[in-house]
Amino acid sequence: MSNLLVVRDLTKSFPGQVALDRFDIEIGEGRTHALVGQNGSGKSTFIKILAGFHQPDPGSTATLAGKTLHLGDGDEAEAAGVRFVHQDLGLVDALNAVENISMGAGYTTGRFGRIDWKADRRRAAEGLEALGFGDVNIDVPVAMLAPSQKTAVALTRALFEWEQNAHLLVLDEPTASLPGADVERLFSAIRLLKERGVAILYVSHHLDEVFEIADDVSVLRDGRRVTTMPTESLDHTRLIELMIGHKLERIEHHSSAQLDEAAALSVESIRGGTITNLDLTVRPGEVVGVAGITGSGRELVAPFITGQTPSDDGSVVVCGTPLPNYDPNAAIQAGLAFVPADRASQGIIPLESVSNNLTLADVERNWRGGRLRHAEERAETGVWIDRLQIKTAGTEIPIGALSGGNQQKVLFGRSLRLVPRVLVLDEPTSGIDVKAKEQILQLIDEAASSGAAVLVVSTDTDELVQAAHRIVIMVGGTVVAELSGDEMTTENVEHAQLQSTKATSA
Amino acid sequence: MTMTDTTASDDATAGQGDGDEEVSATSSWVNRIGLDKYSGLYLLGAFFIFFGLTEDNFLIWNGSIEFVLTQEVIVVLLALSFLVPLTTGTFDLSIGASMALSLVIVNKMALETDLPDGVGAIVGMLACLAIGAINGFIVVRLRVNSFIATLGMSQVIAALIRRIHDGGNITNAFGDSYIDFGKGSLFSFTWPWSETVIELPYYFFFGLIVAAGIWYVLEHTPTGRKMFATGGNPEAARLSGVKTDRLAWGSLIASAGIAGFAGLIYSWKFATYTSSVGPPLLFTAVGAVFFGASQLKGRPNVWGTVIAVYVLAFGIKGIGLRYPREIDWIQPMFEGLVLIIAVAVASRQAVVKVNRRKPTSTDDETSREIEHEVQPSPATTVTDKRSIPDLTD
Repeated sequence: MSNLLVVRDLTKSFPGQVALDRFDIEIGEGRTHALVGQNGSGKSTFIKILAGFHQPDPGSTATLAGKTLHLGDGDEAEAAGVRFVHQDLGLVDALNAVENISMGAGYTTGRFGRIDWKADRRRAAEGLEALGFGDVNIDVPVAMLAPSQKTAVALTRALFEWEQNAHLLVLDEPTASLPGADVERLFSAIRLLKERGVAILYVSHHLDEVFEIADDVSVLRDGRRVTTMPTESLDHTRLIELMIGHKLERIEHHSSAQLDEAAALSVESIRGGTITNLDLTVRPGEVVGVAGITGSGRELVAPFITGQTPSDDGSVVVCGTPLPNYDPNAAIQAGLAFVPADRASQGIIPLESVSNNLTLADVERNWRGGRLRHAEERAETGVWIDRLQIKTAGTEIPIGALSGGNQQKVLFGRSLRLVPRVLVLDEPTSGIDVKAKEQILQLIDEAASSGAAVLVVSTDTDELVQAAHRIVIMVGGTVVAELSGDEMTTENVEHAQLQSTKATSA
Repeated sequence: MTMTDTTASDDATAGQGDGDEEVSATSSWVNRIGLDKYSGLYLLGAFFIFFGLTEDNFLIWNGSIEFVLTQEVIVVLLALSFLVPLTTGTFDLSIGASMALSLVIVNKMALETDLPDGVGAIVGMLACLAIGAINGFIVVRLRVNSFIATLGMSQVIAALIRRIHDGGNITNAFGDSYIDFGKGSLFSFTWPWSETVIELPYYFFFGLIVAAGIWYVLEHTPTGRKMFATGGNPEAARLSGVKTDRLAWGSLIASAGIAGFAGLIYSWKFATYTSSVGPPLLFTAVGAVFFGASQLKGRPNVWGTVIAVYVLAFGIKGIGLRYPREIDWIQPMFEGLVLIIAVAVASRQAVVKVNRRKPTSTDDETSREIEHEVQPSPATTVTDKRSIPDLTD
């Protein structure tokens, strides 16, 4: 077996963290090679460097089919025959399959640059047919297609002119948003490609899929390759051991759950999207973590509870007050504060000042005698800046000028200022550096110590293990396990998330 | 290679100190004399000095001051009616038509009924408020982009106006008491070194009171703060408990009401109705809001708008006196250029480089490094964030 892609000594550092640390990999000619690892292990960084989205640190070398490949140059990778299907597929929902495929492959044009739609239609139909997706309606907007059909459209686009220049197809979490039956259809397409001798780099959280489709597996941990082995020589348990590899000490909790007290937050039979049924309770002083792989329903837990997204059914009660569906204002009035997952689109108002952002959830506090007391707002903001150690050039500069971690702290301030009885945090430390992360974990502990019920939803298992009193694990849209005390280790949480996948997807 | 590379290394060095914000303000003479924030006032002063000193007929220039001050109250109100919904990120392009609607109603009722003229004024205002409520319904409930909704509504209003009145001018419809109510002189002032008397009527002060009221709401109440937050990032505002739909709806009702009041002021000042009133003032009003956004503060604001209206009006008046035969084409040229130049100057102010980190869609193992240039200047707030309609809304 000769190697198609060889990468040596690939390092990529970001402020505050090293995403890849002297990473090596070899991918065999015509093999399907799976890349597995926990969140933060460096999988995505590697794919993004390959695609030219990130630049590697100096010192790496790579060859593709014997020729030197400059990592970080997307055009060169494309020219050398590396094609990508990213998780979000990159399709324009309002356009049909033909237009989406032509967008990537280039339009066939006739005289005067007119698009030859007939040729483009033929090309699209043939490409889909070759993947076993001849049933795709190429005339309707792709938004109307089944999830697996959309993936097929993206695959067809990626594979265009493949025969002339075939080397490596990269599939990044292709099944993350696919229901079970659609996964099977996609796999049939992948098998067709394997028969044609296409080498595939397959990134997935779903270990079952890895065993089903991959010839080789590379395990990443903390930015390094732990091992590469043929899939036959591994089993599920061994693979998870390789992925986790280390245990993490829990931090000392100052807060403790008041077990005798009634739940401050109780969620019953919530349903909608990927969530089939969710029940949860959080008591005052308690920090409950929610873990789950992408597609498990984890990402909808906070939006449903806080009213950010409408759920189909179910009830949320905050300290005895039932919350109406899809009404963040009512949630806040009832004593629930929350920090949304996407800071940029859901959290900050970029051009407004730090002070205006921090006080937004309760502007009325400084409204007295018919006037908004601007000086008092600034003073109050100053106190929060000190308390949360926010680095900013003042209370009046636009929040958009702060770093991500500091923006996040302002949003924490916005919530903590309400002295909430329930605090819901969605991915509280995503995309922020290590130091800010520690401070935020500290704030979570302080909030719980002062009696708030805290729900933390996170893809970062280490963070959950550090912060939470107990962790509930979501698989297939519902809570399948709960870990607390000594059972609550990174290893067990990861294990529970992955182990049960098979049972529910079958 | 080059672009992304620079980004990454910049970020690495900046990140070491944990304070990766980097505010590079261009402190130049422009800032020191406040030309960035007060360009309108400088321009206004320049006009007064230039036309006051060089105009052959000094008296004519002085005499025109009263005319401009009083007539432009109408444009001030129309501009403010555009400003109010704009703060929530909502456009109201039907304000010119709303103004014409109240004007035609008050004239028509005075002409054809025996009711007191004031009843017509009230009916006109109510009609405009109803239009605003319908605009709000279309934008908030039916989720039609405000740009489209109010553009359509302005045609609907135009149709209503033609149903109410078949087109000709209406003059002398009002009784004296109605005119006196608006036009009675409240304030008079004798211009030094000349005999010119400037008299400011009641309606001028009505306009000022409305402007002050809007200023108070926008700058000194929680409602105003929430309106700007809604305009800045509607989803973030909603998730912070702001009732964004209610604010957008309310702001559309307010804008139609203010525009209707502009129509009433027109009726006091000119006591006529002509079909060319209303919609043609839309550009001047909208232009004044965006020009005004470059004045005083970093976003659209009341007094900046007021200044902008008068700068444009006095400029045009002066040019018109100097070149009476050329003013026809100079006026739109002047309005257009002043708007563009004022916004361009404001945009050159402090450019804040922001390294905004976004979590990646998959497993957020590394933050995606995106370097944004956020320009916190007023005009760019408007042009970048608000003036480009999202037609898919």
